[in-house]
Amino acid sequence: MDPHHDSARGRRRHRWVLLLAAAVVLAGVAFAIMWRPALAPLAAPLAFDQASVARGANLARLGMCASCHTPDLARPFAGGKPMETPFGTVHSTNITPDPHTGIGAWSLEAFTRAMRQGVARDGHLLYPAFPYNHYARMTRADIDDLYAYFMTRPAIHAPPRDNRMTFPFGLRPLVGFWNVLYLDDAPWQPDPRQSAALNRGAYLADAVAHCAACHTPRTRLGGPDLTRQLDGGEAEDWYAPALNRNSPSPLPWTRAQLQEYLRSGIATDHAVAAGPMQDVVMHLAQADADDVAALAAWTHSHLAQAPARATPAQRDGPLPHPAADDPELQRMRLGYALYADACARCHDRGRDQTSGAALPLQKAIALYDPDPRSLLHIVDDGILPPDGEPGRMMPGFKAILDEEQAGALAAYLRKYGAGQPAWPELDKAVSKARAP
Amino acid sequence: MTTYRLQVNGKQHAVDTDSDTPLLYVMRNDLALNGAKFGCGLGQCGSCTVLLDGQPALSCMVPVSSVGARKVRTVEGLGDARTPGVLQQAFIDEQAAQCGYCIAGMIMQASALLETTPAPSDAQIRAHMSPNLCRCGTHMRILRAVRRAADVLAKGGGR
Repeated sequence: MDPHHDSARGRRRHRWVLLLAAAVVLAGVAFAIMWRPALAPLAAPLAFDQASVARGANLARLGMCASCHTPDLARPFAGGKPMETPFGTVHSTNITPDPHTGIGAWSLEAFTRAMRQGVARDGHLLYPAFPYNHYARMTRADIDDLYAYFMTRPAIHAPPRDNRMTFPFGLRPLVGFWNVLYLDDAPWQPDPRQSAALNRGAYLADAVAHCAACHTPRTRLGGPDLTRQLDGGEAEDWYAPALNRNSPSPLPWTRAQLQEYLRSGIATDHAVAAGPMQDVVMHLAQADADDVAALAAWTHSHLAQAPARATPAQRDGPLPHPAADDPELQRMRLGYALYADACARCHDRGRDQTSGAALPLQKAIALYDPDPRSLLHIVDDGILPPDGEPGRMMPGFKAILDEEQAGALAAYLRKYGAGQPAWPELDKAVSKARAP
Repeated sequence: MTTYRLQVNGKQHAVDTDSDTPLLYVMRNDLALNGAKFGCGLGQCGSCTVLLDGQPALSCMVPVSSVGARKVRTVEGLGDARTPGVLQQAFIDEQAAQCGYCIAGMIMQASALLETTPAPSDAQIRAHMSPNLCRCGTHMRILRAVRRAADVLAKGGGR
């Protein structure tokens, strides 16, 4: 007998038991994070109160549900819109009450779980392209109303389209770990120091309209960077401007301007909604006016934190020639010539009767953005109102300006329009905006 | 006034004009190419559509100074009354013009599509033609004419 040897063996066995126990605990935790049970299908159709359905319709507009779930106007809420994410292409789902391909078999409990935790009725985890991390804080009553609205839409048979995810994101249970990091379903709390309207706006912006989904930057894991709330993010390769003290806007916004903008897409002296924001205003235009006013009040309370600063936007008149000692004189001269010949006829001279309201370019927010993406999209593709919607129109210049010209124009506008330091890697952005 | 050299329908031209003169005005006033029409002058209707290096461009929005060495093509380059091009013949066969004001732009817009997409689907034709407006309402005939031209080209027709 060698007591030393014996106790060493005991220690080794002890270590194995510990490791095994740790593995079991870890597996249990992983299981708890990644697995959710299926919920029983609805046994019989439900009846809904018309007032609840009407409130739900308003919430669906404020939440812009159709923006993703109705890519085809002839098939409302039947889903199928592809959304590019850094993790692959996700398709929106059918949220009509079709029992086989939609949510017709979903009970209120299943619908609530999907809204609050991102879990489908059958237990599979939904991708966070569906912004349940915002809807998680929606009130019980609002979720009930939305349920009533969707369950009374015409049922459409539309099987889900296959997502194309990059490895390993095709494994839905992994979303459970994202939820540990980013899902906060604590009920929304009003701020007692603020007015009722401001609290209403804050609630709608966070839990319903999910403004921060685009206007807050995302981490590498695709979650909101909570240290930089409303600090500017992106949507479909457009820069979504910061709505806090870092707002790129060269002029302060008034509440009335924001309200006008959120309902019509046009804000005198500021902007015309373009890119993904067109869809937002299209839906807000149909929502309750008081709710949109509350959203405007909330947005204004954040934008008003931006410090006053002197910008070229306070000047009137056309943009200047490049300075004779500009280190990039040739490029700036090309940019100026294009500005003067192509842009100024509407933007700074307004000689065409219907272009009198075109924004003087020193006021155009896109020139002040931290990156050139939104400006390049507007120059290339113009601004076209969505199908069947009224709105301001600007023709695109993609076929008119080649890459060198578009780059020179953007560089000139940035420097002499906004008076801002050059965008790094502008040329790369020009090529990328035009990549097929 | 500056002298600009332009290549239009394969022919070189030199024009003395102001830098911000729209290409449309140069074609119509200096080069006697009256196919492209002035519709709105705001890039909203498409009746002035020409091709710039194969891309459809609204010539009322194109400052002559920006054209450079790019090749301009207009409806006159596709054929004439005696020897119409495939698209022009298809528009005649379908009687796709009513007042005709938008047609030169329509044909150039369609020709850009058929050069890159020889066998377009009906949905592709619709989407591609959507920037061009026709106030007479002959869109259905216009779409049929583009379809017909695509089918003729697919069968190896054309000049």
